Amino acid sequence: MLSRTAADLYWMSRYLERAENLARMLEVSYSLSLMPQAGRSDGHAELAMSLLAAGTLEDYKARHGALDTEHMLHFFALDEANPGSIYCCLRAARSNAHAVRGRITADMWENINATWLEMRAIAGNGLGRYGISQFCEWVRERSHLFRGATSGTIMRNEAYGFIRLGTFIERADNTLRLLDARYEMFGEESEEVSDKSARGYYQWSALLRALSSFEAFNEIYRNAPNAEQVSEMLLLRAEVPRSLHACIQELDLELSNLPGINGRPAQRLAAGLNARLRYTGIDEILDAGLHAWLIEFIDQVRDLGQAIHDAYLEVV
Amino acid sequence: MSGAFFDEMYAAGGQCRPHYREFARWLADTPLELLAQRRREADLLFHRAGITFTLYGDEQGTERLIPFDIIPRSIKASEWQVIERGCIQRVQALNMFLADIYHEQRILKAGIIPAEQVLANEGYQVAMRGLGLHRGLYAHIAGVDLVRDGDGSYYVLEDNLRTPSGVSYMLEDRKMMMRLFPELFAAQRIAPIDHYPNLLLDTLRSASPLDNPTVVVLTPGRFNSAYFEHAFLAREMGVELVEGADLFVRDDRVFMRTTCGPQPVDVIYRRLDDAFLDPLTFNPESMLGVPGLIAAYRLGNVVLANAVGTGVADDKSIYPYVGEMIRFYLDEAPILKNVPTWQCRKPAELSHVLANLEHLVVKETQGSGGYGMLVGPASTAAQIEAFRLRLKARPQDYIAQPTLCLSTCPTFVESGIAPRHIDLRPFVLSGSQTRLVPGGLTRVALREGSLVVNSSQGGGTKDTWVVED
Amino acid sequence: MKLSIRHDTTYSYANEVCTSIQFLRLTPQDSERQRVIDWQVDMPRKVRSQLDPYGNVLHVLTLDEPHGEIVLCAHGQVEIDPTREVEPDLQSPLPFLRSSPLTAADEALLAFAAQHCGERRDRAALIELMNALAEHMPYSPGATEVGTTAAESFARQAGVCQDHTHAFLACVRSLGIPARYVSGYLCTEDATHLASHAWAEAWLGEGWYSFDITNRLARPERHLKLAVGLDYLDACPVRGMRRGGGMEHMLAKVQVELMVQVQ
Repeated sequence: MLSRTAADLYWMSRYLERAENLARMLEVSYSLSLMPQAGRSDGHAELAMSLLAAGTLEDYKARHGALDTEHMLHFFALDEANPGSIYCCLRAARSNAHAVRGRITADMWENINATWLEMRAIAGNGLGRYGISQFCEWVRERSHLFRGATSGTIMRNEAYGFIRLGTFIERADNTLRLLDARYEMFGEESEEVSDKSARGYYQWSALLRALSSFEAFNEIYRNAPNAEQVSEMLLLRAEVPRSLHACIQELDLELSNLPGINGRPAQRLAAGLNARLRYTGIDEILDAGLHAWLIEFIDQVRDLGQAIHDAYLEVV
Repeated sequence: MSGAFFDEMYAAGGQCRPHYREFARWLADTPLELLAQRRREADLLFHRAGITFTLYGDEQGTERLIPFDIIPRSIKASEWQVIERGCIQRVQALNMFLADIYHEQRILKAGIIPAEQVLANEGYQVAMRGLGLHRGLYAHIAGVDLVRDGDGSYYVLEDNLRTPSGVSYMLEDRKMMMRLFPELFAAQRIAPIDHYPNLLLDTLRSASPLDNPTVVVLTPGRFNSAYFEHAFLAREMGVELVEGADLFVRDDRVFMRTTCGPQPVDVIYRRLDDAFLDPLTFNPESMLGVPGLIAAYRLGNVVLANAVGTGVADDKSIYPYVGEMIRFYLDEAPILKNVPTWQCRKPAELSHVLANLEHLVVKETQGSGGYGMLVGPASTAAQIEAFRLRLKARPQDYIAQPTLCLSTCPTFVESGIAPRHIDLRPFVLSGSQTRLVPGGLTRVALREGSLVVNSSQGGGTKDTWVVED
Repeated sequence: MKLSIRHDTTYSYANEVCTSIQFLRLTPQDSERQRVIDWQVDMPRKVRSQLDPYGNVLHVLTLDEPHGEIVLCAHGQVEIDPTREVEPDLQSPLPFLRSSPLTAADEALLAFAAQHCGERRDRAALIELMNALAEHMPYSPGATEVGTTAAESFARQAGVCQDHTHAFLACVRSLGIPARYVSGYLCTEDATHLASHAWAEAWLGEGWYSFDITNRLARPERHLKLAVGLDYLDACPVRGMRRGGGMEHMLAKVQVELMVQVQ
């Protein structure tokens, strides 16, 4: 397969996954920001956390200065000038899909094209009429639909492999960043969140909901969410589909299925990360310091993305 | 040339021509509402499949549908055989002409065509001088534009030897007709055309001396007006659709960048004009080409289809000589007629043209796509005067022809069924043999009275049938 | 006249270049006027030479390992016969009637050619044109760039040998005379200073005649020809493209020695 085609497929699914993750993050932050804030006057901090996790807080401050709910929602969801907005992610995903129209199925193309057309209509009307929660739900639903169309119609070949790689690199990165951002925000307090206080409960359950893992947590731990168990599940439990381990496992599998020998560095890296997660316990991670561990792993995932890029997406 | 229009379906007395009888019976039995409904259905299907083109000069790059007309253009088989032989003869002579002017130049030495007209022509590529090509073929894929005059005889309007387009519409129109009206295909024997992609792949493979060459389609990219067709043909042939950036040259060989590393490329079906192929040989501004491609090509390490430098043979200033070429190279009489042509670079002919602008069609010798031409009878006095100035300033850039009475074919338009002017572009493939699929692309001028069939100028397409007599 | 020549070129880049491709026209050929005794082009990799569309010797150098510089050296010995004025050609000169974007004539150039040549199409007329152009466009390094067209430099009334040659080609072709761009080396009066140079050739009936506009010379006494073409882009000694590398710095040095003749 042409490297350019592989790159377009990979980025199509990465951008779509990113849009979905942004919507998940925004939805939960928004609902939390509406809750009574102990010791905080408004819900800005909650919303700002979304910006922080997406790495665009500085951009926002440069453009808008003070934190303001209206501005933040728009910046995050619809801003054409913010390359990290949901709007821009969907535009990029559709553009990548357009470039490989002949390589994806008609169902996939029609789905992503319709999503983009609707996105434009929503942007034209503004969020006010749509409602932020409904908008986020819509983004998530479109992403689910696309994944369904993909899984139900495309041949299990290289093209499928690169679509999967894009999805899981993005998802792995997202899970790491979300966990880190929540940990950073509540910093020291996070050590005491197992006290079953209402706040701790909402903080951690918000994260779980953002990752559609609330039910899973209840089933596995039958306990109120706390730092240790939430971290363990989101990092190490391979049976939870948005956990880091699940993502790395998929990446390892997809990479090992790709033909050719030029992918060895990427394959080795993915297999190494997979083994590491498999034989690591949460106590080791917490002993090392969760934040440091997460930061280091974010770099590892980035290196894996670079290795995929070097091996397949831009071959000299 | 006579003044009345020739209608493809109805003879002068109004009775239906025999090869249209079956269709006419069906049409009479089919309510107009049903036709309208089917046409909407077709539009929807075309749109959904993304069978679109992009207009040049449209900043938005909006994709448009080429209007599809559900009333087919039908040709009886005996007539088609003549067209087929005529096209093969013509393309063979043109290929021999190209081989000649890049080697011995016999036709120039014989004084049949003025040397300067060929050698100083912009389409003449010095890079091709003395270069041997496999099978001596230059135009592997050619489109011959045909029209019928008032008396029903066919004329060649122009030859397209660079990157002729439209074949995807020919194939999609047929698929659409078979989907919408399968009963029509059961009722009579209509020659099939869907094997065209196979023939094309076979032609491209046979352009290489290798046993099993790797073939790719080179497109300028998805913002090109014919991108749909490039993607379509690549998909139908099962070969890679590449852009210039996907290819690179190493040690005079061409490779494509793939997920399994560099893969050698042997045949490039390029849908990119000569000037953009290689920024180190032609237009240095081109971002679409492959640096070093022409050097690799000249060493025989890759095949380009069509070859570089075919444009000199379909230039409108060379067109008047095609009949002579057929006599010179094949020692045969031309089967298809040429339209009488005045060459404005000749002072005597220029003055005739200037005196008769309101009756003539004037075209740029290097133009295509219906841009930069004057259709005298359809133009206002002001338009004619403006054109006169351009013509006087650069007469060598223009030729003129009588306004042909393009034949008409019943067409489904807003007001119902009405005659509209059409032309025909059969596609001629030259490889181990020269061949065509029966029919071609019929383009129709949808505006009443219009003679311009180009899609960029509001033209549509029809399915083209070759029907057994 | 025997010359020993050494032409060093070094391209260095701010960052590593991922891949690059260079067209090198650094090899002179035998002709009526010049005889190559011995010539060699040293480059980072061994490359087979080929003939380009205009019959020039071309090396296509492709590098796909990351590199920070490209070092080239052309050197050898050549004998020039300064008495020869005209060069015959087996190929038709007619393709050199075409213009190119760099040599397109605008109204001003057309008028200039008509003014100085009128109906005359002989060598004397072209010499007059050459002198008038040199007068009109004084030699002024830095006034133009590589991509400056004939019409632009003519309007600026300034240029270097490349611009002079382009303007001359535009004029001469507008008169219906085939003309081409020549790149090569020029050996100046004291024969110890040699430089990359460009001049023109026009087809007058039986062969190509040289016109060095910059030096107002119609006899190419000390000119060593490397390549010909429609314009600079076809004939220039080094032309390439690359991916990556950032800023480029080029250092060229040409040395010549007049070899002692033993008659």
